[in-house]
This record gives sequence, C-alpha cells and structure tokens, in this order.
Amino acid sequence: MSTTRKVLLGIAGFYVFGVVLLLVIYGFSSHKNNEFQIQNEFKLVNWVSLGVLSINRAVLYLFLAAVLTVVTMVYISRRMQARPNRVQTAVEVIFSLMRDNITRGNMPDAMARKWFPFLGSLFLFIWYSNLIGYIPLPTNTEEKFNLFGVHIPSFALYAATANISVPLVLALVVFVSFIWEGIRAQGPIGYVKSLVPRGVHGPMLLLIGPLEVISTFMRLISLTVRLFANILAGHLIILFMSGGLAVILGLQVLGWFTLPAGILVYLFELGLVATLQAFIFATLSAIYLGGSVTTH
Amino acid sequence: MTVTAALTPAASSGSFLITPNVGIMIWTLVLFGVSMYILWRLAFPRISEALDRRQKAIEESIDAAERTRHEADELLSEYRERLGEARGQAQEIIDRARRAAETHERNAQAEAVTRREQLMEQTRRDIESETRRAIEEIRREVADLTVMATEKVTRKTLTTEDQQRLVEEALGELDFAALTPGGES
Repeated sequence: MSTTRKVLLGIAGFYVFGVVLLLVIYGFSSHKNNEFQIQNEFKLVNWVSLGVLSINRAVLYLFLAAVLTVVTMVYISRRMQARPNRVQTAVEVIFSLMRDNITRGNMPDAMARKWFPFLGSLFLFIWYSNLIGYIPLPTNTEEKFNLFGVHIPSFALYAATANISVPLVLALVVFVSFIWEGIRAQGPIGYVKSLVPRGVHGPMLLLIGPLEVISTFMRLISLTVRLFANILAGHLIILFMSGGLAVILGLQVLGWFTLPAGILVYLFELGLVATLQAFIFATLSAIYLGGSVTTH
Repeated sequence: MTVTAALTPAASSGSFLITPNVGIMIWTLVLFGVSMYILWRLAFPRISEALDRRQKAIEESIDAAERTRHEADELLSEYRERLGEARGQAQEIIDRARRAAETHERNAQAEAVTRREQLMEQTRRDIESETRRAIEEIRREVADLTVMATEKVTRKTLTTEDQQRLVEEALGELDFAALTPGGES
C-alpha cells in the first residue's frame, strides 16, 4: 500500500471516527437555534466612531488590501532583475495579464496606455481584497474568546468585496469612466446614438433604444452584484459547511460531517473564484471602456 | 465567521447586506485612489520598464546569436575553402614530388645505362687493346721463333732482309683475324 493511500485512508478513518464519536456524545437530536443569524457574521460594528467615516471591519479589510497591494507591488518593482526569481516571474505574469490581456486586448493602444494604471490597480485591489477575505483574522469583536486572560475577538473570515458598497463604488467609477470616454470620443449625441446597434430604424428604435440605454445602466448593477454576490456566497457556503449549519440546527455531528465540504469550497474560492472575479471585473471594465469609443 | 457565534442575539434581518454604506464607499474611493496613484507612479513604470528591458535584451541576444551563427557559417565556409585549397596544394606537392621522383628515377636509370655502356665500351676497348698487344707479342714471338728455327735449319745467320721476308711469309700464313673478336685487325 502506497504512502498516499495510507494517508488518505487515515484521514477517512479519522473522519468516520469523528462522526461516530460526536453521535455517541451528543446523539442525533436537533435543537433549533433561532438566536444565531448567519448574516450577522457580516455585520459591521463601528470600532472607531468618525461619523460617516467610522472605522469598522470593512474599512480594516480595505486598508489591508490597499497597503498590501501597494507594498508588495512597489517592493517587487524595486527589485526587478534581469534574471527573475519565482515571485518576480509570478508578478510579471500577472502584470502581462493586466497589460496585454485585460487592457490592450480590449481597447486601442493609445487608450490602453492611458487606462492601464486604472485597470491594473482595479484588478490588483479587488484581487487582494478577495484573497485577504480567506485569511481568518480576529475581527469578530462581538464574540470574544479568552486566551490566558486576554479577551481576543474571534477569528473570522470577512471580505471587503462581500460588502456591496465596495464593488458598487468601484463599478460606479468604471461606469462614469466609460461614459466619460464615450462622450469625449463621440460627443454626447454621438455616444447615445452609438448605444443603438447600426441598422435599427423606425419602430424598432423605440423598442431597442430604451433597451440599450437600460442595458448600459444594468452594467453598473451587474458588475457590482457579480463580484459582491460571488464573494458573499462563497463566504456563506464556507460558513455553513464549517459549522454554521450545525449551530443553526443545534446538531453537533453535522458540523463535523460537513467540514470536508467546507474545506473544499474554501480551496475552490481561494484558488479560483477570488482570482476569477477580480479578472472578470477588470476585463469587463476594459471591455466597457473600449466599447465606449467604438461605434457598433 | 465563527462557529461559536451561536449566542449572538438576533440583531437584524439581512437587508443591511444589500444596503450601500456611504462611509465604506468613501473609504473605498480614497484607499483605491491612493493605491492607484502609488502603483501608477512607483510600481507599474518600473515593472513595465524591466519587462521592456528584458524583451530588448532577449531580442538583442537573439540578434547577437544570429550574427554569431552567421559569422560562424562564414568562418566555416572559409575554412572549408581553405581546407580544399590546402588539400589541392598538398595533392600538387605530392604530384610534384612524384613527378620529381619519377624524373629522378628515369635520369638515374638513363645515367646507369650510360655508365654501363661507358664501362662496357671501356672494357671492350681494354680487351681490344690487350688483344692487339697480345697479337703483337705473338707476332714477335712467332717472328723470333721463325728466325730461330730457320737459323737452326739452315745453319746460317740470316740477314736482315731474309729475316724480314721470312717473318712476313710466316705471318702471312697465320690468320690473326681469328684471334680478335669480330674478326677485325
């Protein structure tokens, strides 16, 4: 029997043993818990009260994302070498992805040069925000635990992008940018005309025209909701699978039973969704920007 | 997100999840704006420059490699040419040496032939002169003997004229020509 098989069998055995043990200790009886509201895991508690600009968990995550983005990128950019190490290679791949795929691939070159800093920063900022969201940090100040007499906030997963305000304001910036670029390139009337596909005349215009205008505004919502909902949903599923469901139903064995699914979803979110959503947000922004200067 | 959060009082419905928060929006704008500014000013140009530099370096080294290869090709063809030339020259030298050797051999042979012929000629001449001398001697002997014999037979001394006549007669009967090779003298 190979080592891998032994390890896998050991893990499976441990899992089954855990299920059996929890069943023996707590039995299979459910006590529905109405006090625990899962959405409260995403509630924002103001830590420092500054009126509208009060500092809470979301602001901390935004701050972390901004600082980490800036520090890592500036640090690596200062140590760029002709013969790159692994980190530099990775950064170069990401940079090329941002510059060549996201930006240059979707707009004319002159425009790409102008908008690359924005789109690159957008991708990195969202990506870092998403990734930080999968690091458990002691941010749940409503639930403290006692460690050798020190009350430490419970470790929790949170993501700035799981808060609708963050994707919304970024989408707003994109929305304003592409409308601004469209009007600058084609004039206000030209831009409105360019929204309607060429070849649509007469009564069809009455139908298609409003649809196209609405669809332009829908971009704002779709950009926002796609990012926000994906990250929030990922966090919710991880939360449910890693014990949330067990708490709600008061069924202890369920927490252990669903834990593997929680770990798998966690890895899936961290490995794919976090990057993919940042990429999609930046790419769609680039497509909208590029599309606004060309008539179709 | 904690497992132990079961005791949290139910504070609100989930509507806050989809209610935009102006404060966070402002924070996002500010933090994103600052990040973008720093990245735009400090990070992106350096990375871009490094990538361009690398690209240029790669292109240059490819060009250099191409040039070197070209040079090597030229050098190789030149060497091949020179090698061919050298081979030709070597062949020529060998041919020349062979020709010289042949000439030398021919000359040597001819010389040997000449020398042999000279030797033969010399020998022949020697033999001839020896033969002539021997005949002369024989002749003299024969004359003396003839004179002596005649004197004994006639019991008188012969005069010089008689002697001369007798010798001539005796010698006239002898065929000296048979003694010389080729029957000469």
